[in-house]
Amino acid sequence: MKYLLISSGFIFFLVGCSTVELIEASSEEINQYVSEYKGDQAVLLNIWATSCAPCVEEFPMIVQLDNEINDLKVLFISTDFDDEKYKVSKFLDIQNVNGVSFIKNERDESFINGLHPKWSGALPFSILYGKKSGKIVDYWEGKEPELKFRESIQVALAN
Amino acid sequence: MRYISSILIFFSLLFSKELEIGSKIPLKDHKMIDISGELLTLSSIRGQNGTLVIFSCNTCPWVIRWEDRYRTITNKYSSKGIGIVAVNSNEARFDSDDSIEEMALHAKDKGYQFPYVQDLGSKLAYAFGATKTPHIYLFDHNDILVYRGAIDDNARDAKNVEKTYLADAIDAILLKKPIPVSTSKALGCSIKFR
Repeated sequence: MKYLLISSGFIFFLVGCSTVELIEASSEEINQYVSEYKGDQAVLLNIWATSCAPCVEEFPMIVQLDNEINDLKVLFISTDFDDEKYKVSKFLDIQNVNGVSFIKNERDESFINGLHPKWSGALPFSILYGKKSGKIVDYWEGKEPELKFRESIQVALAN
Repeated sequence: MRYISSILIFFSLLFSKELEIGSKIPLKDHKMIDISGELLTLSSIRGQNGTLVIFSCNTCPWVIRWEDRYRTITNKYSSKGIGIVAVNSNEARFDSDDSIEEMALHAKDKGYQFPYVQDLGSKLAYAFGATKTPHIYLFDHNDILVYRGAIDDNARDAKNVEKTYLADAIDAILLKKPIPVSTSKALGCSIKFR
């Protein structure tokens, strides 16, 4: 069902034997995809770029949280330029990201406001959606320690 | 210690609101070291018709992509009474990628024709509520903020820009007309506060 929802206008990039599907998406399509998890799993959106040092620094920790917490779905949204898709796929592969991952295909301002109107556009940016409510329970700009992620994930799992 | 520092940064950012349109230039006399070795302030940089403050750095890919527009804007407006400065507030990188020596090399390589200063303590960034690079703030001849946000709507390709936010705002202040779009947003690298 989730794959059907995002079929239109999306391009899949497979790198070697990678299990990552890198999908071009707008903020609207991402929001639609996130809403599919309501009642099933809490969702952590992490918006990043390969060239963003703090994004890359916190990335393995987020992958670890995704692997560790069953009721959490992590979705990585790359904001790399569209001539850097191969670099993104390669990075995701190295980080052992499985399943679906996104790369933005929308102009900055509508993409930023579409994901969260209070986001200034600084990277990385993280948003947590409650498991039961599907609503945003927390968000922040910049790199944060693992403890911050864990505390917010607990709130998302309880809401 | 690192955890305490992270908490402090988190709360600083949480409560540092972006400067509102209509605000006066804050910290006009905050001294910043330029790549020339001079100590400069926004008071000393301001132009008779306006002042453009660009929060920038040496390595951010969005800065790199937009830097051709730094040159275009400077060529077009610095002779028209617009004071221009690039401010590096990445204090956490002042001992590496954003050292004053690296800034000087970067400015030479990219042909900067304007001051490029280091903001010790990231004080200017905190006062402006700047969060990323590049992050643009334009003040009019009365030092009132009239535009903040992005240079235009296409970092990757100057030829495919649809909205020239900054140039439109500068044209408006030079013609004493209303600013067409006073705020905009774009992606950028987080300022590396210590």
